[in-house]
Amino acid sequence: MLAAVHLWQPFNEFVFMRRALLGGLVLACSTAPLGVFLILRRMSLIGDAVAHGILPGAALGFWFAGLSLPALTFGGLGAGLSMAGLAAWITRRTGLREDASLAAIYPISLASGVLILGIAGKRLDLLHLLFGSALAVDGPTLTGMLWVSGFSLIAMTLIYKPLLLDTLDPLFLRTVSRLGPIAHGVFLTLVVLNLVIGFQAIGALMVVGLMMLPAAASRFWSRRLPMLIAISTVIGSLSVWFGLLLSFYYSLPSGPAIVLVAGVGYLLSVVFGPVHGLLRRPPLLTSQ
Amino acid sequence: MIRCQSLSWGAPGQPLTATLNLELESGSLTAIIGANGCGKSSLLKVIAGLQKPLAGRVSLSVPRQSGLSFLPQQQHLDRQFPISLEELIAAGFWGRRLSTQLRAQRLKDALDNWHLSGLERRPLMALSGGELQRALLARLSLTDAPVLLLDEPHAALDELGQQLLWQHLHAWHNEGRTLVVVCHDLAAVRQHIPQTLLIKNRECVYGASVELIQQTSHTKVA
Repeated sequence: MLAAVHLWQPFNEFVFMRRALLGGLVLACSTAPLGVFLILRRMSLIGDAVAHGILPGAALGFWFAGLSLPALTFGGLGAGLSMAGLAAWITRRTGLREDASLAAIYPISLASGVLILGIAGKRLDLLHLLFGSALAVDGPTLTGMLWVSGFSLIAMTLIYKPLLLDTLDPLFLRTVSRLGPIAHGVFLTLVVLNLVIGFQAIGALMVVGLMMLPAAASRFWSRRLPMLIAISTVIGSLSVWFGLLLSFYYSLPSGPAIVLVAGVGYLLSVVFGPVHGLLRRPPLLTSQ
Repeated sequence: MIRCQSLSWGAPGQPLTATLNLELESGSLTAIIGANGCGKSSLLKVIAGLQKPLAGRVSLSVPRQSGLSFLPQQQHLDRQFPISLEELIAAGFWGRRLSTQLRAQRLKDALDNWHLSGLERRPLMALSGGELQRALLARLSLTDAPVLLLDEPHAALDELGQQLLWQHLHAWHNEGRTLVVVCHDLAAVRQHIPQTLLIKNRECVYGASVELIQQTSHTKVA
């Protein structure tokens, strides 16, 4: 009973904790399908590239407009999309492998973001930008998170079928429909939007963990796509809840606390998951 | 009708053959044969609009999006993808408005026709290569497109599966559909497909299969 009180008390007592919880939960709902599709599309590294790319954009936004939500958001959005686009462009034009191209973009983004913050006078706490702070979720940020999450869920519902077929069999889809590239474009935009809106609460480098870890963990629990998305949402939501509690009781930064709880969920799934988990026998790969 | 005019395809600056001028009548059944790497599958993709030609053009008498359906090679598919065989086949209904009852009936017929009944709920990763190939053919059968382009439809099929394939190819041909089939099994092409486009030594030769493929040539090209 006492433990149950501890699970809710901080949220009952402090408005900023309630805001962080609500923001984190809606973010976990909207990032779950994105993470699952990123893995299915073998684009897991894109999330990282975008998350790193957000940093110099948000720093530039801060430099020119101060601590304003639209400046940080649009700066992050523009830079995140540019960095992912630059990596894709280099791959297409030079034939450099995509993972190498993305890996080259990370340090450039991170270094330029940190340098811009240095030039801007260090008034913006670098740790908060990188790793998040529950205190950063004020009213306007929470409203932004609700809008982005709602928009994401509606857009994902609309592009679900073409995105599914474009992921499984793009050649077939391209012969029956022109929706493949549109679904891909909308999907990438949603990934960037969610990472940008999440970076203030969870941190630019940590929000990608909330997107990818529950998605990677869900793969050990089901072979059906809707179930993967549902399980990923549950793991993400529990990570936000328990991560915020950890952050509150032990005075830890909220982003790493949330991501570490998601990491524990992932490791437990690897060991105990019924689909290819370490403790399960390998499944029958072919029918007899 | 499929018309290729001064068509050239391959990697930029490296066309795979001399330019191709070819007209395939509506309702024709044509094979594309040749050694590995000669450009058979690429030509099929150029006709399907999936790959840009280096030069020339392909014109179809039907709209590409609704009139053409393509059977890709199964290695393009992610076998780990978390959907069932039934969901894969149902993608053949894409863009068509059918009543739930009609969809269910047609899906059941497709499963029966391709000997896949009982495997509806099975995930892709638990299917054998032959079962997956039959599922892709079942999906193709649901599209009702007048032009069908098939890239190695016989791949991974056992004897029974190949019999089913040729039965259906003839049925589609008899319905008046236009079919182009990339195939390595020369004996089967000679027996089942009346016209052939042979790509050899960077040249394209079009003619009757029985003339282009010698009777004794039962060896597979690959």
